[in-house]
Amino acid sequence: MDADERGFRVALVADEFVNPQPGGLDVLAVLAGDDWGAIQLPPAWYPDDVAGPLLDQVAEHVEEFERHDYDLVRVGDRAGLAQALGALGVGAPVAITPQTEDELRAFLAAHATVRSSRPV
Amino acid sequence: MAKVAFVAHCLLNQNARTAGGARCPGVYSPLVDELRAQGWELAQMPCPELTFTGLNRFWAVREQYDTLAFRRHCRRIAEGVAGAVAAHLERGDEVVLVGVDGSPSMGIRVTSSDPLRGGRPQWPDEATDLAPGRGILIEELLAALDARGAPAPRATGVTYVLPEHDPDTERAAFASFLEAR
Repeated sequence: MDADERGFRVALVADEFVNPQPGGLDVLAVLAGDDWGAIQLPPAWYPDDVAGPLLDQVAEHVEEFERHDYDLVRVGDRAGLAQALGALGVGAPVAITPQTEDELRAFLAAHATVRSSRPV
Repeated sequence: MAKVAFVAHCLLNQNARTAGGARCPGVYSPLVDELRAQGWELAQMPCPELTFTGLNRFWAVREQYDTLAFRRHCRRIAEGVAGAVAAHLERGDEVVLVGVDGSPSMGIRVTSSDPLRGGRPQWPDEATDLAPGRGILIEELLAALDARGAPAPRATGVTYVLPEHDPDTERAAFASFLEAR
């Protein structure tokens, strides 16, 4: 097997934090620096019939990461996410709507497991 | 009008990669930074392999995934992504696809192929099982867009799966792709 560099940490991220307005908080940069991956939530402007199938996919991804004990958090929110997760019996990850990079970094650090081995 | 790049799931989340395949802890920053620098918004596509065979899946070639069940799974995902692409096109946004060359699911120009692969898992020289072609989800996405009467977006693939991968070359080629109209 090749060396695998995954961080075992995944953040669900609201679209406005993935694609911030100029001068907005750059959540992806913080996640990259702190070894977290991102699952993007659909933009708020998507109609329900567009967002629904995408939220179902997000929930299926979360279910698989949760099953393997990856660290999961949520940054921001998206209407319909809780229902999509609930339909699979998955709880909503702990969440933050950060105002600053420092606030986000502290939150991520508080929810990052220090691992001595790979989760199964 | 916005510029929107529909990107393979693993560009933002390397945790979704097959074991042994994650090139960084999470966000694959070089290409995300390039997209941002050129004013592109990101739209992350689902990972069909993660939600079909899971995190502990074996490495596999396209033929192993090309089953009725996986095609059905990819069609369901592709319908959702096609709906999002169509929503952007309807408001006049420019859309491109960014896949993963060498992937059985997300390849744009190169996929993996070995008609004889099967049985006890082993992975011979990976350079021998690459072949021109698209991945299965990409095929199904283009079919779903065509069924909606939507044009096929311009598309490119990241190269970190390929044996000749060079980060600087990849980023330069990606920048040229994004600049082209």
